[in-house]
Amino acid sequence: MPVDVAKLKQDWTGFEFDRVEFDVTAEELVEFATTVGERQGRFIDPADAEFQAVPNFTTKYHGRRMWPEEFPRLSSKSAGFDGGKAVEVHGPIRSGDRLVAKSHIHDIFEKTGRSGSMVFIVHRMEFSNQREELVSVVDWRFIQKPDAE
Amino acid sequence: MILDLHNHSIRSDDGKAKVENYCQWIRKRELGIDGFVLTEHRQFDSESDYRKLEDESGLLILKGSEVETNYGHVLVFGVNEDLQAAFDFARIDLPLEQVLRESERCGAVAVPCHPGRATVGMCAHIETLGPVPGVGIVETLNGGSRSGENEAAEALAERYGYRGVGGSDAHIVSHIGRCATRFEQDIGSMDELVAALREGDFEAVACPST
Repeated sequence: MPVDVAKLKQDWTGFEFDRVEFDVTAEELVEFATTVGERQGRFIDPADAEFQAVPNFTTKYHGRRMWPEEFPRLSSKSAGFDGGKAVEVHGPIRSGDRLVAKSHIHDIFEKTGRSGSMVFIVHRMEFSNQREELVSVVDWRFIQKPDAE
Repeated sequence: MILDLHNHSIRSDDGKAKVENYCQWIRKRELGIDGFVLTEHRQFDSESDYRKLEDESGLLILKGSEVETNYGHVLVFGVNEDLQAAFDFARIDLPLEQVLRESERCGAVAVPCHPGRATVGMCAHIETLGPVPGVGIVETLNGGSRSGENEAAEALAERYGYRGVGGSDAHIVSHIGRCATRFEQDIGSMDELVAALREGDFEAVACPST
């Protein structure tokens, strides 16, 4: 059966299905920044007055669930593959912050490419700090190739 | 006048380039194109206004679309409200005949792009589904083609008597201006581009330089 992407989108986007908290430490900020090759003091030196997370820091976090409970599997042969992450920075993340990450399916769309048709599922994690300020949004695209008819 | 007819900005799901950065790149590198068309995937961008950017850069910036059909991907030039109401641009299984027919009815021009590409090109489908009446132009030069794909597109155009256009299919800044289309007349608007495509006085060109 072909996938009814419009219905899938209608049924599964826009509602929160996971919420996780993370405590941000100076050690993990430095570790992540140095791992990605950052050399600026404000990202790798906790003594720097502007010490904060690099923009893509929140990509390291995962929730407890990848999909809402009972989200349909589109392929019987493959679990799919990672389509990459995109990060929007809304504010600084600093050592000592407690982040709350809320997950929802932001979008589901299909496209065709050299290898055939694919369904993209966009898992969005919105990170707020202890002052309830939105600091980061991560869109994680996951690609599934539906079973052929 | 030389226009790059096939490009994607960050408004496409896989586009990584901002339109202002395309303009900067074209001017900085002194690329030999006078403007370009943004053909976002499965949508028409009716919101963005690039007139200020046009004035600043001296480039013509037009907006079309790249839709997905049973014969592969198709560029549409001259999208208007009537055409947007005629079919759902987001679908990936639009009948090519419908896209051609409705484009003609609404004053637009539909051009199958990268026809030599597997799965999403017309050549792969024409063998099984047969030729489609109403195709007059195909993209014979595509900047994202792999080896042999543009040659297959050229062969298709020659076999069926299609005219050819060129476009870079850029998704990142440095890929704009790889392929384009040379028109005999000046073009200053989408209406004039559509008229020029219908007139047929153009040719696909690769890597135009100043």
